[in-house]
Parts: sequence; C-alpha cells; structure tokens
Amino acid sequence: MKKPHKTNRYWGVGEPLVWLSGAALSLTLLSALTLLIVIMVNGLGVFWPSPLQQLKLKDGSQVIGMQTQVDESADGTGMRHQYKIANRDLYGLDFRWIDEIDVESRSTPPELLVLERSEYGDFYGRLQSLQLRDWQESRAVTLTELQSSLQQVVSEKAALNELNAKLMGVSHQSENLRLKLQKLDYQKVDPQDSQRLALVAQKDVLDHEFSNLSKVQGERVGKIRRSTATFADASGQEKEISLADIVQVYTPNQMTLSKKILFYASKLWELVSAEPRESNTEGGLFPAIFGTVMLIFVMSLFSFPMGVIAAVYLREYAKEGLLVRIVRIAVNNLAGIPSIVYGIFGLGFFVYGIGHSIDVLFFPERLPTPTFGTGGLLWASLTLALLTVPVVIVATEEALGAIPREMREGSYALGATKFQTLCRVLLPMASPGILTGLILAMARAAGEVAPLMITGVVKLAPALPLDGNFPFLHLDRKFMHLGFHIYDIGFQSPNVEAAKPMVFVTALLLVLIVLLMSSIAIRLRNKMKKRYTFGTF
Amino acid sequence: MNSDYLKKIKRNDRLAHWAITIGGLAIILCVVFILVLIVEVSLPLFISPDAQQTASIASPNGPESKVLAIGMDEYLETGYTINTSGEMRFVSFKDSGVLDQVSLQSPTGPQSLLAVETYGRLNHVLHWQDGSLTVEQVRFRPEFDEHNNNQRHIMHQLEHLGEFPAPDPAEGRAQLTQARIDADGRQTRVDLLADGRLQLQQRELSENLLGEQELSESRQILDLDKVTSIKVLTLSDNGMQLYAGSTNGELLHWDLSEVGEAELRDHLQAFADKRAITSLSLVFGDVSLAVGDDKGQVTTWFTVRNDDGGRTLTRIHNLSSHAGAVTGLSHSLRDKTLVSQGSDGLRFDYMTSERFLLGINPAGAIHNYALTTRGDGLIVLTGQGELIAWKLRIPHPEISFKTLFRKVWYEGYDEPAYVWQSSASTDDYEPKLSLTPLIFGSLKGTFYAMLFAVPLAIFGAIYTSQFARPRLRGMIKPAVEVMAAVPTVIIGFLAALWLAPLIERSLGSLFLSLILVPVALMLSILIWQGARKFEPLKRVERGFEFLAVVPVIIGTLMIASTLGPGMENWLFAGDLKQWLFNELGTRYDPRNCIIIAFAMGFAVVPIIFTIAEDALSNVPPSLKAASLALGASRWQTVWRVILPSASPGIFAGTMIGFGRAVGETMIVLMATGNTAIMDLSIFNGMRPLSANIAVEIPEAPVDGSLYRVLFLSAVILFVLTFIVNTLAEIVRQRLRAKYGRF
Repeated sequence: MKKPHKTNRYWGVGEPLVWLSGAALSLTLLSALTLLIVIMVNGLGVFWPSPLQQLKLKDGSQVIGMQTQVDESADGTGMRHQYKIANRDLYGLDFRWIDEIDVESRSTPPELLVLERSEYGDFYGRLQSLQLRDWQESRAVTLTELQSSLQQVVSEKAALNELNAKLMGVSHQSENLRLKLQKLDYQKVDPQDSQRLALVAQKDVLDHEFSNLSKVQGERVGKIRRSTATFADASGQEKEISLADIVQVYTPNQMTLSKKILFYASKLWELVSAEPRESNTEGGLFPAIFGTVMLIFVMSLFSFPMGVIAAVYLREYAKEGLLVRIVRIAVNNLAGIPSIVYGIFGLGFFVYGIGHSIDVLFFPERLPTPTFGTGGLLWASLTLALLTVPVVIVATEEALGAIPREMREGSYALGATKFQTLCRVLLPMASPGILTGLILAMARAAGEVAPLMITGVVKLAPALPLDGNFPFLHLDRKFMHLGFHIYDIGFQSPNVEAAKPMVFVTALLLVLIVLLMSSIAIRLRNKMKKRYTFGTF
Repeated sequence: MNSDYLKKIKRNDRLAHWAITIGGLAIILCVVFILVLIVEVSLPLFISPDAQQTASIASPNGPESKVLAIGMDEYLETGYTINTSGEMRFVSFKDSGVLDQVSLQSPTGPQSLLAVETYGRLNHVLHWQDGSLTVEQVRFRPEFDEHNNNQRHIMHQLEHLGEFPAPDPAEGRAQLTQARIDADGRQTRVDLLADGRLQLQQRELSENLLGEQELSESRQILDLDKVTSIKVLTLSDNGMQLYAGSTNGELLHWDLSEVGEAELRDHLQAFADKRAITSLSLVFGDVSLAVGDDKGQVTTWFTVRNDDGGRTLTRIHNLSSHAGAVTGLSHSLRDKTLVSQGSDGLRFDYMTSERFLLGINPAGAIHNYALTTRGDGLIVLTGQGELIAWKLRIPHPEISFKTLFRKVWYEGYDEPAYVWQSSASTDDYEPKLSLTPLIFGSLKGTFYAMLFAVPLAIFGAIYTSQFARPRLRGMIKPAVEVMAAVPTVIIGFLAALWLAPLIERSLGSLFLSLILVPVALMLSILIWQGARKFEPLKRVERGFEFLAVVPVIIGTLMIASTLGPGMENWLFAGDLKQWLFNELGTRYDPRNCIIIAFAMGFAVVPIIFTIAEDALSNVPPSLKAASLALGASRWQTVWRVILPSASPGIFAGTMIGFGRAVGETMIVLMATGNTAIMDLSIFNGMRPLSANIAVEIPEAPVDGSLYRVLFLSAVILFVLTFIVNTLAEIVRQRLRAKYGRF
C-alpha cells in the first residue's frame, strides 16, 4: 500500500477545519472585546480634562477648542481635526472640523478657562472682569477672586435650595388638599359642610404661604443673578454670564496630573449623584440610576417569590408526566417571548386594564386625568417581573434538581414532612442557585428597555418615585432608566454630536453594572455545579 | 411526641402543598393568559359588523309616497322628514311625539316640492315646482341640563344656506338637477335639460387684489362629446367635480374648478357590455367615484397615471353586487364606507378593503334612507310607512385579511401595493395598515443576522467544547455567557452611532476584508504546515489555535482598512456607494442590513453558542473515545460522530436564537432606519414588527384600529416565537432523555 502524501494527510484529516473553527471562536471573542474597548475608550475619556488649544487660522481668525477627533480631510490633501469649540450661545455649533493646512499656529495659553454652565453647555475663553451686585462698576480680577465669589454664590444658592424644598412641601400639601376637595365635590358633599369649609380655609392659608414664599424666592433669585462676570472668546467677543449660571470654572492648561485625577474623580461623583442638565446631555445620572435601582427592586419583590414557588411546584410537587412536560415547555416559551410582546401586554392588561379599574374604583374624582391608568413604576416592574420569572424558575429548578436524592430521603427518614424538608433542607441547599437566578433576572431587567418604553419610562421625571411626602413610595409615578436614557439622548436629542459623550458614559455605566451582576451570577452557578457533582455515580 | 405539634406540622404541610400547587399552576397559566389577552384585544378587528334596530315608529308626515327626505341626529334620538308640501317635522324616537314642525319656503311663494337631494353634513337641496332651488342645513347639537342630573337634550336648528332662482319657463323642466354651495358660498348648479343637454351655472364671490368683492357668474352648456343618453349625475361636495353616467355604460368627468371654464377630463366606455349606469356617488374624500349599474354591480373608480403619462379614470374596486339594478348610492362621512340600494335592500361595503360589511333588508321596500353624520346610525322609511332607526356597529371596516396581508390599491396610488402608513395630517386620510412589509422586515433582519451568527456560534462552540484546553474552556464559556447579558440597547446604540458611520466610511475595506480574511487564514494554515515541524510550535495545536489565529485576523483587518480606499479608487471610481447606485441601482442606506447582521448577530451568537456548546459537551465521552481509537482524526471524530449526536441540540440553539432575533426590538429600532420597504437588498433598512410596535403604540388611541392591529402584530410575534421555541424545547427534552443529563 502506498503511503498517502503527507500534505494530503494534513488536509484530509481536516486539521485546517479545526483552525477555521478556532478562527470562528476568536472572531466572536474579538467582537465582544471590540464592543468593550469602544465603550471604554469613548466613555472613560469623557471627563478627562484635555488641554485647551488656541488656534490661529490662515484667514486670520482665532479658535479655542479641545481636540476630539482626527480624520483624513474631505479632499484627501491632509488631515483634519475636530475641535469642540463650545460657546453654543455664540456660535450655534459645539463642534468644528478644521483642516490641518488652514492652521497657522497652535498654542496652549495657561489662562484659558472652561466654564461649565447650567445652560448652553460649556464656555471656552478668558476672564475679563467681574461685577458683583454691590459693586458700582466691573473690575478686572484674578481667577482666584472669581472662584471665591463663585463660592459665595454657591452658598447663597444652597440657602435658596432650602427655600425651594419648603416651597415644594407647601405646594405638595396644597395639591393634596385640592385632591381631597375634589373628592368631596365628587361625592356631592354640601359646599357649606364644616369639614369642607375647614379644608378650604386650610388650603387658602397654604396658598397664601406659597405665594409669599415664591415672592421671596423670586427676589432672592433676582439678587443672586445680579452678580455677573464677563468673559471673552477667542476673537475677543465678550459675553456676560451670571455667576448663578456657572457650575464650575477650571483652567485645564494649568492643571497638574494629580489635579487632573482629582478633577476626574469629582466629575465621576457628579455623574452618579447629580441631576441631569441641558436635556440630559450634561450633568449627572442620579435620577436614572435611582429609577433603575427602584425598578429592579420592585420587580424582584414580585418575580422572586413567583419564580421560586413555580419552580418548587414543578420540581417537588408536580407528578412527572405530560402536564409537567407541557408546563416546562410553557416556561421556556415564556423566556423566549419577545420583550416587546410583554410590553404590549403590560400596556393592555396592567395600564389600561387594571390601572384604569383602580382609577375608576379609588380615584374617580380625578378622572379623566389618570392616576394608575397610565404608565408608571408599578406597571413597568410587574411587566419586567413577568419577563424575568422564567429565569428564576429555570435557575431554581436546576438548583433543586442538582440536590442528590439522598438528601430528601434522609430528611423523610428522620420523620420530616415534605414542607419541612423543603424549608430546612432543600431551599437552603439550593440557595446559591436561586440567588444566581435572581441576579440574572436583575441583570436582564437592568438592560431591558423595549417593554419599559411603553409602560412608564420617561426622559425626564419631575420627581423621584421615593421621597419625603406621604406615602413615601409613589408607585404610580413615571421614572427614568439608564437604558432608556441611552436611547433617548442618543436618538431623540436635538444635538446628537454634543450628546455623544454622555451616551457613551451612560452605556459604560450600564455595561459595568450588568456585566458585574451577571459575572457574579455565573461564578456562583459554576461553583454550585461543582459542589454537588459528587452525588452522581 | 406531642400530637398537637404533629397535627400542626401535618396541617402546615397540607396547606403548603395546596398553596404551592395553586401558586405554581397560576404562574404557569400566565403564558396562556398573555396570549389570550393580546388575542382578545386584536380579535374585534375580525368581528362581523351588525345592526341593531333601536326604534320603529309610524311616519309622522303623511303617507310614505309623499315623504322626500329623512334624516337623524348622531344620538339616534331625533329624526325628521320632509314631505312634498314643504313640511318638515322633527320626531322623537323615544316616544314618537312630534317635537317641531317647520314650513319650508320657496324663494317665489308657496308651491309644492318635487324632490330633495342630500349631500355632505345634512345639507338638503330642495327642488321646487318652478325649478328654483333652496339649500337648507339641519344641525343637531346636544345640550346638557345642569339642573336636571345632566340630562341630554338634542337641540335642532335649520340654516338657510342659499338659493338658486327659477330658470326661464321656456326651457322646460329639467330631467335632473344637482346643486352645491360650498363653505365659501360658491354656488354650482347642473341641470340635465329635457332635450338631453347638460347646463352648468356657477356663481362665485371672490375678493380681488384691491380687496373688493367681485362676482363672477357663468352659464354654459357642457360639451357632451356626442353622448346622448345621460341618466345620472353626481357633483362633489364642493361643486368642483362633475361626473355623469349614461345608459350605454359611458362615464364622463368634468373639472369645474374655474368658473365658466368647465373642462371635460374623461370620457370612457366604463363597461364593455354597455350596461346602463344607474347610480353614481362620490366616496368620502371626493377622490373616488362609486358606480352602480343595472346588473346590480357596484364598482369604484379613480384617476390613475396611464402608460402615456396622462391620467385616466380607472376601475379599481369591485364591491358586492345586488340581485337587481342599483337604485341608490351614498357614502359615509367618516370613512370609505359605501351604501348601495337595490331591490334586495341596502348593502354596506368598505371600498378599500372590498369588504362586505352588512346588509339591511326590512320588511316592505325601502322608500328612503339616510346615514347619520357619524356613520353609525341608519334611518329608513319603509314602504309601509314605518320610520326605523338602526344602530350600526362597524368597529373596524378598513381591516380585513386582505388589507393586512395582501396588496391593496389605495386611493391615489398607481397600482396595488403593500403599505404601512398609520397616520397623516388630514382628516379624510385613510390609514394604510399592511402587516406584510413589517413581517418581511422582521424576517429579513433575522435572516441576515442568522447568516452571520449561526456559523460563528456553531463553529465556535465546536472548537470550545472539543478542541480547546479544559482550563481555557472554563474561561471562554462564562465570557460568552456574560456577552449574552450585554443590554441590547447598548448594542443598538453602538451599531447606529459607531458602527454605521464606520462602515459607511469604509465599505470598500469591509468587502475587501471579506475576501482577504479567508485567504489570509488559508495562507497561514499553509505556512503553518511547514512551521509545525518544530516541536515547541506544535504545542499550539493542542488547544491554543484560536489564540494563534488572532494576530492573523487583526493583521488582515488592518491591511484591508488601509487598502480599502485604494481599491475603491481603482475599481469603483473612488466611491463604492455611488458605483452601487449607478451600476446596480441599489441605494445605500447608512442604516442597513450589514449593520443589523453584525449587531443582531452579536446579540444572538452567545445564545446559540451556549446551547450548542452544552449539547456538544454532553455527548458521552465513550463515543469520542471509540472513534479516536478506531483511528479517526480529531476533526473526523467531531464531524462524523459528535456533531450528528449533538445536532438536535444545535438545532434547538439555532431555533432559540432565531426566536430571539425575530423579537429583538431595541437594536432594530435604533439601527434599521425604520422605513417599511420591501427590498431584499443588504444595503437597505427595514421596519420590523417589534420596532413598529415600540414606535407606534404610545400614540395609538386605545381600542382604535391601529391599536388592535399592533396587538395583532404582537400576536404574530408571539405565535412565531412560540412555534420556534416549542420545537426547540421538544428537541431538547428528547435529547435530555437520550443522554440522561443536560
């Protein structure tokens, strides 16, 4: 017999195909890595204070900006750079592409400032003068003087915030009274009824207090706003800005590395603790983070017990047979139903069905303004609970199934009832598995957006679902959500280019949360798998 | 032991048994319940309409032969009749009492009425004995009595809109007369004279540039194009369009929008068999013309662009037919519903869906009938002098199986088409709710995503389960599982804001890398053949191949991205997108199927991968050992032994991945462009069912047609994924039974 040629043998036994399947795996992993890297690179760099450059162009004009992108120019003659030039109120655009050949010189003057403002985005330029409200005329000042005046304004604003909180409280009380009165009117209580009259009187007092307070507030705001500073942009155009509108001032070109790190940390803190500004494209994410957490929490309250009970029934109580097979198929089907179908179910059943019935039964006086008959935290949580129940069921079932039969038999032999065995032996043993299911369900809920869009998520919620006003937890309120935040600022924002950094930051945060949760869950599960493998002979 | 305690724990056990059983079963019922609810919401779309007789009273205005017109308010509480002596009586349907009586006046003193013609919102044109006309409008308005428990009263009111003077008696009596007064007071009158000529009179008050009132008046004989036997006429509500039908089956159409300059637009032989046209009416919106003939057929027509660029009146829809000639046609004021009268009663048809809605045939011939302005009430005067009111329940006339899934010829379109267009700015706009382009979009996106994901996931799973080092396997699998947890909103936003611009910029590089990467892989395998002779290198072959391939892939991608623009310059004149458009006629949308394939593929890969990997690694090791012992190579073992045994599991994984891709919402919402087009091209976007629901449901009025159609599309999604998942699950359970564990 002739020995086959060696090359043919290598090809014939399919060794290259092993390599190709290896290539498929590396492509998969590479794409996952690319996703992470793109989000990291774009998300992490957002808050780093890069130097402010002053460009002198060949046509004589001057530009101050931070470089954001480099690309080949449109006519292919060289490179072009994208600069963030800010000053939206002066130029209308935040970004500008400048061809390399148009640039005459570049410099990074140390005195250049970045102003973070509560409106119109950032301002890049130089400090000209300061005009405090008790000064006769404006004076040229140093940056430190500006900083200290800003400090003062900040403390004044803090006092104003206390006033605002008071104002909110009064208006909330007054609104409650209005609803009570509305209810009495709906019940056709005599307008001269003493109880009603007392309410009216109470409301009048509150309304009076409200108007007094708001007058005081208006005066104080006017007072604070009278302190202004004047800044100049690259071409010397002056802009007067009220100190109250300035969130922060810094000079990136003078910052040392340690200062930059500190600045970066403070921006991160602002991200998780502050309210959003400028139609969500700046400021913090606090309401969205809070809404996401609340949503996951309320959802777990429903889906955890539901899922565990269903799984215990399936594994411990139901008799194996056709029914259980069908039920398993049903549960796995639940897991495979598109989330948007859950959403439309939630809208039709929870919001328009149950919610509307609640309104008719308990809040008829407020109709046609819906209370529960519109999307809200409760309905979104219930919808998500339905969506995540199969995850908990499958995980719990798996965990219960992995417990060796000897454990049950041992417990029965000692005289325990089925329920006792369940509570004292099986559930504790299965707890890591159940926990895994719960964490996976939470991760799914954190990332799911489509069903929320139609059951109560909004781009900007006026109030958090949890606050100091009775009954503290407001399940009927609309809420904000990190995932929807990404969709909203990335796709519904009027200024997509300016919103991009915020989208990447939000995406990074969401990815980190979800990946952290699911890696913990997967680790737990893998550990548990090892724990019980001794039982199988 | 304490017997009380024993009792207690036994009781607890029983209680728990029941609680858990009931709770478990209840949760499981949820699946069924979800389906039942969404089906229940969408089902009314297909419920056949019905009519309920609400009142029947004796005609209050003399014998039926003398009644010329009838009408009713929207609440079906007050009816009215006009008789030949100009008496108008309002009657309550609740107690059949006469509420009011009005004597209508002709412009030239007392005389009898010949005929009454009704158009628009209860406008009545009264034809007097001497040929003069008056136009009266009836208005109803509900009033709520605050002192009396908000009791509703229907108030009525008559408004005199205008009049047309009597013609010269020498002209003789006209055979037919039609008249309109539009919202600006423009008057139009058309008479079919006794000698068969058609006379048009127009009168318009307009303001000229100086702000002065200017009166333009005209009277002309219309050009009949040698047609002699005109029998029926109809004018649009604003009096700008005139249609006439002849006993020889000819249709004529004049445009009367310029005063004194009537223009014959169309003249055609509508029916080849020269059947007589017996009735004409415009359909709501005044674009389509409904034609009834003596064979009992009702057809609708509108102008369509013809081959030589002009526009001709074309027959579009054939509606249900009567046993005998059509004697009357009228239309609803809310939608494209048509009512036709024949000897066998009234038939309601919806024009666009060609759906027969319902027929009404009361005892005794129908002498006269009218629809309420809201279109949900019908009043009929029978030959027996009875006035009968019906409440019509036609909730979704525009929806039928045909409009949802087949091509439909919409008003104003040049040909039948699949269209999804749920809303527009005008009132008489007709929503176009075809689900076909959406289903097509869903399947198209899924197809391209699966094309990308299935090979990658299955081969990746084969490698991980069979060739990779066990330690690496323990890291790869969790990594891929974590990849499955990446929120789709993030994948979608990256696809739309990062990947789409990137691919648009470097389309040439993308195609180049599609060729270069396999070539480079093959080349590197060839080189490897030589290199593997060195012992230290050969170790890579034992489970590290996928790492060794990484530099090849990255290197090739980098080469492709640098060469891409050059290739575009050389082969495609610098711009591949432009070249595609010029040479192949495909438009390049920035958000297209390439993006969807990558993004949705990315979302689906981990799902298929995990299930396939499970199936592959659960094939009993004895099979593998036997195969290897018989001398098969490791690839031969995988391909011939392990893959066939695991194929049901791989199939299940693919099915579940498919279900996931069909229902995926956020990625397609952000990265498809959401245009409902039907085009298989990979360079176009689409609008899938799921994204469509997310986009439209917040604005859909509850219980309206759109709302229910969206629920129907959710049912379709549900059923699609249900079938696929059940299939996968059955296969998986079988596999589990076969290998004992899974």
